[in-house]
Amino acid sequence: MPGLGSAALVVAFGLVVYAAVAGGYAAYRGRRRLLESATNALFASFASVLLAAFVLLAALARHDFSFSYVASHTSRELPLGYTLASFWSGQEGSLLLWLLVLTGIGSAAVALNRRLISTVLPWTVPILGAIASFFALLLVFVASPFGTQIAPADGVGMNPSLQNPYMLAHPPLLYLGYVGLTIPFAFAMGALASGRADERWIVATRRWTLGSWAFLGFAILLGAKWAYEEVGWGGWYAWDPVENAALMPWLVATAFLHSVMVQEKKNMLRVWNVVLVAGAFCLSLFGTFLTRSGVINSIHSFTQSSIGAWFLGFIAIVAAASTALIIYRLPLLRSRTRLESLVSREAAFLYNNLFLVAFALTVLWGVIYPLVSEAVRGVAVTVGAPYYDFFAVAFGLPLVLLMGVGPLVAWRRASLRAVGRSLLWPAGTAFVFGILLLLAGAGSSPAGLVGYTFAAFVLAAIVLEFVRGTRARHALGGGSWLAAFTSLVGRNRRRYGGYVVHAAIVLLLIGAVGIGGFATTQEGKLKRGQSIEAGDYRLTYLGSEQRRAANSQELRARLAVSRGGKDLGTVLAGKNRYFAEQQTSNEVAIRSDWLRAEDLFVIADQFNPEGSVFVKVIVNPLVNLIWLAGLLFVGGALITLWPDAREQRRLARRFAEEGALARA
Amino acid sequence: MARRRSPARLVIALSVAAALAIFLVYTALAGGTPSLRPSQVAGHDGRVSVAGKVVGQPTGTARSAEGLRFTIKDVQGTATLPVVYRGSVPDLFKTGRDVSVEGSVQNGVFVADKLVTKCPSKYTNKQS
Amino acid sequence: MDVLAVALAALFAVAAVAFVARPFLAEPEADDDRLAGLTPGEQGRLELLEQRDRALGALKELEFDHRTGKIADADYEASVGPLRREAAEALRALEPLAPPAPAPVEKVDARA
Repeated sequence: MPGLGSAALVVAFGLVVYAAVAGGYAAYRGRRRLLESATNALFASFASVLLAAFVLLAALARHDFSFSYVASHTSRELPLGYTLASFWSGQEGSLLLWLLVLTGIGSAAVALNRRLISTVLPWTVPILGAIASFFALLLVFVASPFGTQIAPADGVGMNPSLQNPYMLAHPPLLYLGYVGLTIPFAFAMGALASGRADERWIVATRRWTLGSWAFLGFAILLGAKWAYEEVGWGGWYAWDPVENAALMPWLVATAFLHSVMVQEKKNMLRVWNVVLVAGAFCLSLFGTFLTRSGVINSIHSFTQSSIGAWFLGFIAIVAAASTALIIYRLPLLRSRTRLESLVSREAAFLYNNLFLVAFALTVLWGVIYPLVSEAVRGVAVTVGAPYYDFFAVAFGLPLVLLMGVGPLVAWRRASLRAVGRSLLWPAGTAFVFGILLLLAGAGSSPAGLVGYTFAAFVLAAIVLEFVRGTRARHALGGGSWLAAFTSLVGRNRRRYGGYVVHAAIVLLLIGAVGIGGFATTQEGKLKRGQSIEAGDYRLTYLGSEQRRAANSQELRARLAVSRGGKDLGTVLAGKNRYFAEQQTSNEVAIRSDWLRAEDLFVIADQFNPEGSVFVKVIVNPLVNLIWLAGLLFVGGALITLWPDAREQRRLARRFAEEGALARA
Repeated sequence: MARRRSPARLVIALSVAAALAIFLVYTALAGGTPSLRPSQVAGHDGRVSVAGKVVGQPTGTARSAEGLRFTIKDVQGTATLPVVYRGSVPDLFKTGRDVSVEGSVQNGVFVADKLVTKCPSKYTNKQS
Repeated sequence: MDVLAVALAALFAVAAVAFVARPFLAEPEADDDRLAGLTPGEQGRLELLEQRDRALGALKELEFDHRTGKIADADYEASVGPLRREAAEALRALEPLAPPAPAPVEKVDARA
């Protein structure tokens, strides 16, 4: 019943517009009941969008090809999981997912902060409503998922590159990240609109921001793993515009997470923080625009339609409105506190922010430059990996260094002597490690060597922090070392969770440098029984096999793998030919060695008629550390996110004092 | 501790930003590989990248001496360019797709060693 | 669009409208329809509260950093004095601004 879906979307549209307009009036005039009504409209809009989502899911599940969307993205042979996941594989469905997540998260955030909003942040509701209105507008008038047609016998099917388990997880997680950034944005702008300069909006949205940032980061890595296995060129990050589209808001959100700490402790950087949160939100919209509009041809661009113009217009409005609001409230935001010393933790956070934002801007420039160049000079260019790699190293290395130095420097003012003493042991370790690596031959990639030395430095600094903290805790409370350790982390979740996240980033760096700087490639044609050697491995071609799967024909080359004479089993690499989609895809073989964290990567490029096969074999050292880093990253984020009873009590006490005021 | 540092800090920040901006523009100009259309290739001697749509039927195989032979056409136009490619063939390559090849012109044929497929230029029901 | 879909959609729309109108239906004539914002006095007190918490937090962190060896004794001695003074100042500033006694609610004509 497509009509029900369309009706639900129309109702949702009306509700969010009401939430925006009535909520705005209520906030402006201070009308309590009207604001409650607008808040209810926001909640109801979630129910409405959920109804529309169910209608689409049901249509997908029963292969109702009278829905144009179902016919264009699925086929009868498509396995159920992918059929349901095609909810978000197409343009209209992914917009519906955006709106669903937005109204859902928005309603939850508003419901959990009801008192805060009704007393001091009333503008949050109309702002959320306005953002939702844009997406609802698109869904009702421009790109509806509920278009109908005469049902064909079978659907068109799904792009083979999308038919893998990552497609089930990557888009929803990514959207949780993108859309989640709307919450701190709406609360921040709500605070500005209501004339508030205090930090309540930061405290209220801290966990939302952390959660969205964690989802976004994890989704980026999941996307990278997908690209590594599915696109299969041997690399893990291609600096493709759509990969960058998710990276940019993540970088800015990382900067934001650090600088709000400075605001909480020193009441500084207030203007910078609202600029950052607006920037992160605009970049997440921009990211959606890049992926959905096809304005930049990339391996990811799923469609090319008029959606792009709408998005661009909306981003322009959001950017302009945020800027205007910030400028209007500048006198209120200007803080009187000054940076006391260039050698202090505040300063370290400031440098961290500068590098992160600079890196985000260079990525943005790399993404936009082809468009600018074509528009201005009439010459189309492509900005390739060398540009991005250069800046990744130029900005990344100082950032890694700061991860090590920052935590060792005190707030306000740190004497160079104290800093030097703290740095001695980690720096010494790193130096020794660097020399060892150089002797082991890592000098072939100078940037890699420096990166590894810095990584050792940071890891040593983090270990030092944990050791010193545990020792101090143990001295205070006695008990076992383990108890001291858990109590240390439990009482300082943000700090030590943050250290775990830093360790994860360092692990990522080690893996990235491994695969980027020290990978080896060999390619050649193999007849049956012939071998090829790459790295320590020896691969022997045993023969080819064919198999018919649900919706494809699979052709594989079987190769025997051995290392140092020891037999390591066989791998299968080849191609799949998909019937409905009339397309062939490469299916690479990846043999992960977890002990050495390296991968043996085999691409069967070509099956020749006379029975030989052309293979490309790549050895990627340390690449599995990247995926491990993703897990550690989530773990660290969870630690920082974890509700802290003591902190909640303290905040509750403070807000009770203020809450009593508000009701006086 | 100097409290009147604001003007100096601002000047430093602005100069750093300006230096970075200039550097960015320069590297982008130098680092960007010009992407030509088939009609523009004639006369370029060095290494270039060409973007166009695959027309006709590709012949040969990429991992062989003769290479994969196909023709690309201006996306908006009629000029065509014969291409010989040797290397890995990406998943999405087929007739009608937009591709980008990198290499140089030799004896009237474009000899390429890098091939990247782009997605169809207009939205079709087939997801790509 | 079949009858069932129409009926469901209509039902849903009615429920949504009812939910949205609920605040007005529950209180057709509200004594106080004003959004309870903060007066400048309350705003000021809130900022002082934050300042106090910030000073106390900084003290705690200084102690922790000193205990874990990040801050040398000399630096600790130099910083702890000013920080304690800041915290004391913030606490002192809060005293005179005790929460005001609830003021009589003005009868504002909601229909105005």
